[in-house]
Amino acid sequence: MRPGTTPVNLPPVILAQNLTRRFGPLVAVDDLSFEIERGEVVGFLGPNGAGKTTTLRILTGFLPASSGSASIAGHDVLTDSLEVRRHIGYLAETVPLYGEHRIEEMLHFQGRLHGMSRADRRRRIPQVLEKVGVLDRRRQLVGHLSRGLRQRVGIATALLPDPDVLILDEPTSGLDPLQRIEVRGLIRELAGDHTVLVSSHILPEIEAVCPRVLILSRGRLAADGTQEDLVRTLGHASFVRVELEAAGAQGAARRLRELPDVISVEERDGGPGLLGLDVRCDQDLRASIGGLARAEGWTLRELSWRQATLEELFARIALELDQEPATAAATAATTAGATEATA
Amino acid sequence: MRGIVTIYRRELAGLFVAPLAWILLALSLALSGWVFVTVTKETGGDVTQALRYAGGESLVYWSVMIFLPPLLTMRMISEEARNGLLEFLLTSPVSDTAVVLGKFLAAWSFMALFWLSNILYAATIDALGTTPDWPPVLGGYLGAVLVSALFVSIGLFASAITTTPVLAAFGAFVGSLTVLLLPFLAGLFDLPWLHEEVAAVDVMAHFHRSFLVGVLDTKVLVFFLCGTGVFLFLASRAVEAKRWR
Repeated sequence: MRPGTTPVNLPPVILAQNLTRRFGPLVAVDDLSFEIERGEVVGFLGPNGAGKTTTLRILTGFLPASSGSASIAGHDVLTDSLEVRRHIGYLAETVPLYGEHRIEEMLHFQGRLHGMSRADRRRRIPQVLEKVGVLDRRRQLVGHLSRGLRQRVGIATALLPDPDVLILDEPTSGLDPLQRIEVRGLIRELAGDHTVLVSSHILPEIEAVCPRVLILSRGRLAADGTQEDLVRTLGHASFVRVELEAAGAQGAARRLRELPDVISVEERDGGPGLLGLDVRCDQDLRASIGGLARAEGWTLRELSWRQATLEELFARIALELDQEPATAAATAATTAGATEATA
Repeated sequence: MRGIVTIYRRELAGLFVAPLAWILLALSLALSGWVFVTVTKETGGDVTQALRYAGGESLVYWSVMIFLPPLLTMRMISEEARNGLLEFLLTSPVSDTAVVLGKFLAAWSFMALFWLSNILYAATIDALGTTPDWPPVLGGYLGAVLVSALFVSIGLFASAITTTPVLAAFGAFVGSLTVLLLPFLAGLFDLPWLHEEVAAVDVMAHFHRSFLVGVLDTKVLVFFLCGTGVFLFLASRAVEAKRWR
């Protein structure tokens, strides 16, 4: 949420209350509630099968909830579906487009569906095509486009009616790294004018684009807040990584534990002749740890401050809430990368 | 209403940019042309008879009537449900009914265009100096359009309740054939009351007694329109039901 841009008395543009959706015995979405204010860019994060797509489909009115309610721009998604659909631009994960038509024709069709006049369409279509960078290809057949271009045309299609709310389901799935960066940049650009809800199971995507994150696991809301908030509430996930030469450093862990503000000290395999220690603490204790090392005569090899990342939070949530360890491990593995796992 | 027109235009464009529509059109025209020419030759130039055959009394005619609508409608809903386009349509500001009606009108217009071939034959003969018997020709055209409406709606319903185009085409084909052969099927049972009931919904009899003699019976008109309406209603319910799965 960007303070200052949201008038106090406006209702949330997306409001979900106790949403539950069952598919037979499977509970895909379980008592989910959240609010999204106008102009927010929110990331919807969760491992595969967490209920992200189902929730988005409920919000778009495509899928009715088994219980609970949701509204978009004040309109109930079930009873006032057509009005809701006028306010949203939705890009499903499959990027549904008519392959037999040209890009331009596809957009004209979308414009007509939304009741845009011919003049409006003539003005808006080049604008959105320019925005996603396919204006020079507007006469190409959609069916001949590469995955990345298709994705961009999909985003242009969702953008065309200038919706209040843009809902993008896994907009970067199936793209190569370069295309991912492009799509991310595109979403960041849209942030100013629209309320954007982006889902992904890949954390860096969300981390790069969305100030606020909703983490979903097993259909439940596992976390909700700005990235900084979430990292803070993650609790004691920051640490100072210390690496000492093992010779002459006996009892180092015990001595470090005695330092003020240290929460815990974990030993890790530092390699031959080395002693690796992770000193958990909420603030940067490098100075006092360095001082202690000097006083004790330890030979320091590494002393670095590692801040908790959203990634670790995500991995923890996936690990803690997923009852199938295999899935959780896989999820954690795909998200590991920028920092070394500490859990 | 706006939604119907938009969907209709898209579907019609979709039909004609794909080769399937053109192939079906060419093939079917060749078949009915062949029937017309053969009958004209065999009867020593009786064009009225030839037009009757090409426009309703031949096996070729009824084969086309049964095969063409399913081929046009098979992909319309089943394929879009698979590739996500139905999700796109059902999350845009048009009603489910508008989606079904737009698709129906597109396939129906194609059929109406297709059956114009008989009128074209008659007009050619008229231009060459022999006046054909126009009322049965025009009645036959109207009949063809009405039967097509019924079969297209059956095709759409089949497309809405199946998951692949092939299955949809097969279902529609069996459905249409069953409707045509109801009197024959009823004849297999020795139940007089059933024969009576079935006689009321005998598509071929309606066709022969009303349209092909150039007489427009409103009862028959209402029968075809209601039948079409029922299947369109079922199709739009089936589309709605896809949301709940």
